[in-house]
Amino acid sequence: MRWLSPLEPENRHDGVRTKRFEGVGNWLLETSEWREWREGKGGADKAVLFCFGGPGVGKTYLR
Amino acid sequence: MSLTARNTSSLAIDRLCDQARGGLAVAWLYCDYLAQQEQTVINIMGAILKRLVGREIPGDIRKAFGEGRRPLLPDLMRILKEAIASLPQVFICIDALDECLPKDLPELLESLKEIVRESPRTRIFLTGRSHVNGVIQKYFREAVAIPVSPKEKDIRNYLEMRINKDDKEDAMNNELRADIVRTILEKMSDMCVEGFGFPLY
Repeated sequence: MRWLSPLEPENRHDGVRTKRFEGVGNWLLETSEWREWREGKGGADKAVLFCFGGPGVGKTYLR
Repeated sequence: MSLTARNTSSLAIDRLCDQARGGLAVAWLYCDYLAQQEQTVINIMGAILKRLVGREIPGDIRKAFGEGRRPLLPDLMRILKEAIASLPQVFICIDALDECLPKDLPELLESLKEIVRESPRTRIFLTGRSHVNGVIQKYFREAVAIPVSPKEKDIRNYLEMRINKDDKEDAMNNELRADIVRTILEKMSDMCVEGFGFPLY
């Protein structure tokens, strides 16, 4: 499968979730923005949900 | 990329996967500035296709690519769009867009837009620093942007957790612990005020 892409997002996800800090970010999944996006209302125009953060708790900063 | 955004991405992916029933599919990528050379648009789209077709690449896709030759982007996009159109709904999550090479970002967004144009039910979840919002809005004018700045409580908990994991336990005491947390919180609130104006509440 590497000929199709050398990237292995599934492995990366396993790595990220084991280091996940519980309790941070869950609130997003309760917002109406998430729900409406998830339900797919609004078709192509409403396809994108973008969550932005500042450099606040940068991993580099705390490493 | 911020802890909060990466945390949020992994939660979003898990939540979508948990709810994915009846042919709903979830594909994702965590961008990493250390992997920029590999994170080309073709490799990102290839990774999404790999995820959607499962472990075995169907024979017709293999054939379309000339039995394992490196695909070209237009061919890959054609096959990816067909794969997505054949599924009831696909969710694509891309974490830390700001860690892509800036030159790749327009092509990446254009490719995502192509997918949505063909399969309007496709949902795209993106995270990144606020400065990439401008380019996202160019391609998706009605993208909904939500700030996910960390709450002070989150940062405090995170720092406590990291300090507890520190292996130089002998050197740690309550005073030093409090001092570390206070200093980092102060520095971070300065950064937020100066740079981005995100309140730390």
